[in-house]
Amino acid sequence: MCKVTEAVSSGGKVQVRKHCKVISAILIPVMLVWAAVSAFAQGGDQMGLTTYYFSDSGENSVITTSFNLAKKLLAQTVFLIDIELDQVTVPAVTAVTGATRPQRRKNEPFEKSRGQVIVGVEQGLGLNTTFAGNFYRSQEIDYTSTSVIGTLSQDFFEKNTTVTVRGQYNADDVGKITDPGDIISNKKKVFTGSLIVTQLLSPTTVLDVNYDIMHMKGFLSDPYRQVNVDSFGVKFSRDELHPDYRIRHAGTAKISQLIPSIKAALIGSYRYYFDTWKVRSSTMELKFNKYVVDDLIFSVDYRYYTQMAAYFRSDRYGVDYLNGGYKTADYKLKSFNSNNFGFSLTWLMRGLAKNNPDLEFLQNSSVEVMYFRYFNDLDFSADILQAGLKFSI
Amino acid sequence: MKLLLSFVAVVIALIPLGGCAVVKSYEREKLADPILERQTQFAKQTLEQKFFSTREGSMGGASGIGGGCGCAK
Repeated sequence: MCKVTEAVSSGGKVQVRKHCKVISAILIPVMLVWAAVSAFAQGGDQMGLTTYYFSDSGENSVITTSFNLAKKLLAQTVFLIDIELDQVTVPAVTAVTGATRPQRRKNEPFEKSRGQVIVGVEQGLGLNTTFAGNFYRSQEIDYTSTSVIGTLSQDFFEKNTTVTVRGQYNADDVGKITDPGDIISNKKKVFTGSLIVTQLLSPTTVLDVNYDIMHMKGFLSDPYRQVNVDSFGVKFSRDELHPDYRIRHAGTAKISQLIPSIKAALIGSYRYYFDTWKVRSSTMELKFNKYVVDDLIFSVDYRYYTQMAAYFRSDRYGVDYLNGGYKTADYKLKSFNSNNFGFSLTWLMRGLAKNNPDLEFLQNSSVEVMYFRYFNDLDFSADILQAGLKFSI
Repeated sequence: MKLLLSFVAVVIALIPLGGCAVVKSYEREKLADPILERQTQFAKQTLEQKFFSTREGSMGGASGIGGGCGCAK
């Protein structure tokens, strides 16, 4: 049990606070990057900085900033670190939103932050084998997640085929902030296994096939969501209750085709998903990348998603659901379709390195700006803006 | 189980392609072009893991490393 402090925005202070958040979300990682550059980086290392802003029709907003570094320690050993910071604002419980938040002081916006770190080592074992071990930790006021991840990658047939096997174990604490400000914690455990095959089909064509299986056990509900129950005309709310067990499967095939004659690439993918809650979905995505000038890539992307509802999902729950019957208020378990359309611009800074030896570190560096518009047939829409900077030194 | 079997079938079907070594090492220059996005795209992974997995009932099938968070309950 621990006491909780919430930050609540009100009146004209909101804008000032938002500006401060944006500035700090960008400045802190930039300072981290430069500190890392001067302290650790050597030739061949890679760094990335990404800022992500998301807002939706439910007035939720997220600002994420991430910094990552891949540092070569020995000839076949690479150290990896990824740090990510989120600032999340969830509106008062007056808007229609899929977001969850504590019920107390529900007429005021709720803000919280999340920190995430991934550290790992990638070790080459000969010419065709790589092993990587990673540790993941994510922490927010009412949720913590800890993972260990192992990845083995093997090249076959003169590196025409790469097979990757990955295993991940997650132990999560799902917390609920109660009215007095205490936190009640529940456990959730997840094991994920992945098999990924990459196959070169021609000098301009690559096929990726990916299968994931996820085994979840423990508290799989959202502690804040409540379901409206109608008992012979008397209406009241109860906490949602999901099964404590779920097995999820996802298989994806992706084909990437370079079209040298027009300096472009076409990337298409399809994913089929199903689980033991009877949710089934299909996802199709098509992306077209084109050099508009030598070092500037313009991309357009379209994604279509359709899913079927979970077997215990209902618009209305009667009194028979009170005694342990599964019930959900999660709109993610409804049947719906969604569309996502976006475009991006990527500037490869290799042009600057060509004529200036002092700027050689820009050879594999790039700046990327992306915008996406997401909308579904549940009257939900979102705007996503991302900016990323990647450089190698 | 059907999906797993289909996947195994695809993998088996790919092995002969690999066995032919259809792409020699000196032919792979074009595949390194950034336009094909063969390198890790962190921004893309963020979008997949953070946005879609918190707004849709499905997840997985993308090869990024990530973990749990309160947003994906």
